Amino acid sequence: MTLEPYVEFAKKAFAREATYRLEVFTEIGSLIVRVYLLRSVWTALYAQNIAPMNLPLHSMITYATVALLMSLILEVDGTRLIREKLREGTIATDLMKPISVPFYFFSDGFGQTGLHALLVIPCILFALLLVHIDVPSPAVFGMFLLSFAIGYLLNFFVNFVMNAIAFWTLETFAIQLIVRWVSDLLSGQIIPLTFFPGIFGRIVFALPFAAIYSTPLLIYVGVIAPQDYGRMLLVQILWLGLFSTLSLFMWRAAARRVVIQGG
Amino acid sequence: MPPIIRTHDLRKTFRSPKRRPGVGGALRTLFSREIEEKVAVRDVTMELEPGELVGYIGPNGAGKSTTIKMLTGILVPTAGTIEVAGLVPYERRNENARNIGVVFGQRSQLYWDLPLVESFELLRAIYSIPKDRYRENLQRFIEMLEMEPFLRTPVRQLSLGQRMRGDFAAAMLHNPRIVYLDEPTIGLDVVAKEAIREFVRHINQDRGTTIILTTHDLADVERLSRRIILIDKGTVIYDGTVDHIKEQYGTHRTLVLTLTEPHANPALEGAEIESNDRGLVRYRFDRRRVRPDQLIREATEQYELRDVSIEEPDLESIIRRIYVEGYEQEPVNT
Repeated sequence: MTLEPYVEFAKKAFAREATYRLEVFTEIGSLIVRVYLLRSVWTALYAQNIAPMNLPLHSMITYATVALLMSLILEVDGTRLIREKLREGTIATDLMKPISVPFYFFSDGFGQTGLHALLVIPCILFALLLVHIDVPSPAVFGMFLLSFAIGYLLNFFVNFVMNAIAFWTLETFAIQLIVRWVSDLLSGQIIPLTFFPGIFGRIVFALPFAAIYSTPLLIYVGVIAPQDYGRMLLVQILWLGLFSTLSLFMWRAAARRVVIQGG
Repeated sequence: MPPIIRTHDLRKTFRSPKRRPGVGGALRTLFSREIEEKVAVRDVTMELEPGELVGYIGPNGAGKSTTIKMLTGILVPTAGTIEVAGLVPYERRNENARNIGVVFGQRSQLYWDLPLVESFELLRAIYSIPKDRYRENLQRFIEMLEMEPFLRTPVRQLSLGQRMRGDFAAAMLHNPRIVYLDEPTIGLDVVAKEAIREFVRHINQDRGTTIILTTHDLADVERLSRRIILIDKGTVIYDGTVDHIKEQYGTHRTLVLTLTEPHANPALEGAEIESNDRGLVRYRFDRRRVRPDQLIREATEQYELRDVSIEEPDLESIIRRIYVEGYEQEPVNT
């Protein structure tokens, strides 16, 4: 298999995203506003309460800001193409080409993400005008990037599974909305999972959503200690394995349905 | 040479839950497991020689697109065998894809948000087309299809005619051995249709590409192909030359006379008046019983004529008749 078509798919997706200029600028704008709002909220909350011992205010603001920057990349649904192609029936023309269709979806999603990842740079610069972000040691930062990369792939496959449901229902908006609400809350994107009490805390850590945002973020702010890195990454990899396998099965079943029932 | 496309008793049956009308019916559909079977293609057997251009014709829902989908490998037949350039398409979808090009009039394979030329570049990568061959083909196609003015325009802003020309070029860039054209001229104006027919002729005759053309527009077929396969309700009802079917069914001609003076009943022996509108008279005659020159002589002797012409039946009216009456080896002339 040659990689060239997939590199091209990614490049074209990047170029396509870049044509939506207004969207790009509003994205930067809204991120800046959210950074400011979260800083205000957490500052007010910390002033009223005793700070949790492992997460002082400056760590909390760092956590919230880095989470927002991560969301620039993670909230791009690189697999919505699947849903669109199913609804419009264009999946058939893709199947008539000598390509691996799932890998095509991945390259396209990767290209889309690429453009949004570039936005992280101006966003960091603007964010730094509003808040102070702690900078960890290179070793910790490297571990954060690795964990983030696994989280990115996991996020892709979770989205893939949800969009692949469209093969059967043709409509996934409601499912996605629910999953989105749940994952926003339980992934640690807004509230660190260490804040959840007792048994509830243990449950949210055991869900796949935690492996998307929470693990890299807690590594970044130092709540996860170096001796726990191995264990935490292993959990992420297990979720990744599970969801990529599930995606593969769903793709196979969906493709079979297309070839038997004509899509 | 062995046939490049071969199907034998090819059949495709779709199964779907039986639907009932109304709200109550919709609820019952939700819970009942009654399955409805619909045979879309019924025991189709055909063979195509390399380089042939065949018109594959039938009314809506006759099974044309289903056959094409099986030939491309994206639909698995329920029964029968199928072979395209030595491959079983649904078993070797990827390899088969390299041998074929497909154009659908109703949906585009171009990338919606990108300038046309970038879709072509993407296809170069997908099919690993060697750079020099790609440049040569592209140059040729740009000239033939006059695509220069809109090469950098995003596909979503193209007119239907421009988009179709783009789709044709896209389907042929990798020099496929076989091309399926599914309603390619639907909704196009005369000029665009002509450009596309010319292009199809080039692909077929100069490159020896085998082409299956499904269409409603029988002018496409009359202009391009010698052989047609007629399909109705999933079954092949005729497979042969256009000339043969015309010969067989086109036994009647129409003689059109324009008289200088209107005439109440300008009868001619051996011909039957179809219409008579203020001196413009249309006669129908069987060319096996009466020769046209006899009719014209008779007409000039009896009436004063301003104009004379003879019309041949077109393929469209013949085929319309076959669908209504069914195909018979020796049609009864009425």
